[in-house]
Amino acid sequence: MKKFTLSALVAAMAIAGTAQAGVTDKDILNDQMTTGDVLTYGMGLRGQRYSPMDKINTETVKDMRPVWAFSFGGEKQRGQESQPMVKDGVMYVTASYSRVFAVDTKTGEELWEYNARLPDGIMPCCDVINRGVALYDDLVIFGTLDAKLVALNNKTGKVVWKKTVEDYKAGYSITAAPIIVKGKVITGVSGGEFGIVGKVEAYDAKTGKLAWTRPTVEGHMGYIWKDGKKVENGISGGQAGKTWPGDLWKSGGAATWLGGTYDADVDLLFFGTGNPAPWNSHLRPGDNLFSSSRLAIDPDTGKIVWHFQTTPHDGWDYDGVNELVSFDYKEGGKTVKAAATADRNGFMYVLNRENGDFIRGFPFIDEITWAKGLDPKTGRPIYDEAFRPGNPADSKDGKKGSSVHAVPGFLGGKNWMPISYSQDTGLFYVPSNEWAMDIWNEPTAYKKGAAYLGAGFTIKPMNDDYIGVMRAMDPKTGKEVWRYKNYSPLWGGVLSTKGNLVFFGTPEGYLLGLDAKNGEVKYKFNTGSGIVGSPITWEQDGSQYLSVVSGWGGAVPLWGGEVAKRVKHLNQGGTVWTFKLP
Amino acid sequence: MKQKISALALSAVISLPAYAVTDPLESPLWDYMRKTFIGNEPYVFDDQVKVELPEFAEDPTQVPITVDASALSGDIQRIISWADLNPIQHIFTYHPHPDIIPRMSLRIKVQQSTAVRAAVLTKDGVWHIGGRYLEAAGGGCSTPSMANADPYWESHLGEMKSRLFPREEGGRYKFKVIHPMDTGLVDAIPEFYIETISVRSEGGEPLARMELSPPVSENPVITFDVRDASKKHRIWLRDNGGNEFEQEL
Repeated sequence: MKKFTLSALVAAMAIAGTAQAGVTDKDILNDQMTTGDVLTYGMGLRGQRYSPMDKINTETVKDMRPVWAFSFGGEKQRGQESQPMVKDGVMYVTASYSRVFAVDTKTGEELWEYNARLPDGIMPCCDVINRGVALYDDLVIFGTLDAKLVALNNKTGKVVWKKTVEDYKAGYSITAAPIIVKGKVITGVSGGEFGIVGKVEAYDAKTGKLAWTRPTVEGHMGYIWKDGKKVENGISGGQAGKTWPGDLWKSGGAATWLGGTYDADVDLLFFGTGNPAPWNSHLRPGDNLFSSSRLAIDPDTGKIVWHFQTTPHDGWDYDGVNELVSFDYKEGGKTVKAAATADRNGFMYVLNRENGDFIRGFPFIDEITWAKGLDPKTGRPIYDEAFRPGNPADSKDGKKGSSVHAVPGFLGGKNWMPISYSQDTGLFYVPSNEWAMDIWNEPTAYKKGAAYLGAGFTIKPMNDDYIGVMRAMDPKTGKEVWRYKNYSPLWGGVLSTKGNLVFFGTPEGYLLGLDAKNGEVKYKFNTGSGIVGSPITWEQDGSQYLSVVSGWGGAVPLWGGEVAKRVKHLNQGGTVWTFKLP
Repeated sequence: MKQKISALALSAVISLPAYAVTDPLESPLWDYMRKTFIGNEPYVFDDQVKVELPEFAEDPTQVPITVDASALSGDIQRIISWADLNPIQHIFTYHPHPDIIPRMSLRIKVQQSTAVRAAVLTKDGVWHIGGRYLEAAGGGCSTPSMANADPYWESHLGEMKSRLFPREEGGRYKFKVIHPMDTGLVDAIPEFYIETISVRSEGGEPLARMELSPPVSENPVITFDVRDASKKHRIWLRDNGGNEFEQEL
């Protein structure tokens, strides 16, 4: 008997021993298929947000119940756009105002919290949100609203290292979750509304030492650190002035504010870039590289391997930041190494992820006015110049150009909220919105730390009964397979599972589970505040768990226009909800 | 004599007039604080450990205190200082070094009238407790820092000013560092404070070290004495936000 206890104890210790191991690069690469943890933003570095778990499925989901709810507390109940991570029975989740919480996944009890002391001068354009942490070794790494990377010890929440990525006084901030690739933590920056210069940077994940920096605006020098020395690593785009007039490239925007994905097959990072600055496109004739683009970057050197620009010479705030999700499909017996992205501009693109070649593109919203379509060879938009806001210089007093009614609105056919790709249905699930805008241009000049737009705008719903549309899109045909309409705009991420389910939340507060094949509602639960976060699922003690953060906020209530009345009654919050089958 | 008291001899302490056995400050939290900071280790109340305070804390956010354990110099393992009735009791923990005299002054916040203590652990494993009672109007820990109303700190965080005052023996350093030292007890302002101060030699060798808690006042002013004023010294700081600062004094 005693012997048994002892060996049981040894076994328990052995399990505990492995359970305590730090996160490795291998763990991160395998994350999508290991159901016991969630180690990456996107539930796998490719960003597919697909889980091979099927205990919760279209048959059983009706019995799913909350097991605990965890409040972030305080008065900071707004804008919870986070995706939680799970490792060894601990959930690591960020909250608004640059907070991180460690929570026991069995009980929902707090283990520690980290509260960044933010200066009053932070300049987040679109709410005080954060989208999640990165895990590596025994570190929990995240970016703050004052543009710093902070690495916390996963047991104590104490700061291990901290690095200033950029100057928050110039308008920089960080809201995206960093990703870990080959021992490096990779981050972008926010601030495209302030005339910053976007960049992607890699830091040694264990020490926080800068490894390379890659500006995303043509003309700026990249650097790499070799043996502690800063070495020039090539000007982005070769030289300044090719696609920008004068010195506008010096404050060209192209913020990498939504972070990136990585695919190990082709060993490339994929980062999207935001709008060129300022919004007034008449001030900057040219394609304005690399704004509104997807960039493929070598993770070892920080060199741009290929780029694909979705909106050259953007004039509508059509950021190209949206996540590029790698997936393979068969065509004519051959495997195509593809990647798909649903852009702010209303078009969805399927690219060859090896070289950035355009395979096909198609609208995923009902109406697009700014472009008549895409060039079938290159994917370049065929502009309808009648829908570009007029040049203020052509107006009588030079102060306001003619206003146009452009679709989609500046908040985009899809905004930040990440899509999901189901390996079972082969469909992408795209949280989209049907809205338009009136937009006009004004003169502007760059001033450090000040908004740099040169535009006025107001957003308008397209339909009386809905704005949000969850769509199942077939990347091979460009066809919409089904849709689910929502009264208010969709603003949260999507998760698909082998259980034939698609999970996402709504601003009305519902966590929804839809049949992945036909969009039928199989599950509905109100979390008490609007959901603008991304759900995750994982396995613990033989049960499948599902978590989502609830807490209304983000850009919609700040830039509401006519949309505001549809959301103004929605209450703020800050709670992690966790569910399982009984 | 006093230094030789061991755990075993403690029962004999009762008969020694130099040591009180009950808390001379009659604080209702003495026993709880004792368990928190020194556990069940042997202790004596010892007048040689001096805590100097003003008659009355005019400004509860900036109360000057001095802890002087120089009478036990050379025999000290560690000093812990706390205020019994503060919501965050711990003020600092001090790790000595032969080059630095164990006497330090700083300013603290107090929430109400309270006993302010210094517990000195000597090499024989006995804690020597000194302390005094501070009269205060209170509220110092839950008042927003001045930094909350003025963004000055944002561009000057960690900036230090220091001065060396010659003494008969050695010298006295006084330095001030810009830091909000937020307690986390004010709504919507997270705790943000200097956790570690290290006095270093010119070559960077760590000498004495202090671990601070949020009751240390905003923009801390700290005074300490060195035995040899002809040597140069450096100060290294780290706050709980991971910011590090270092400067020659």
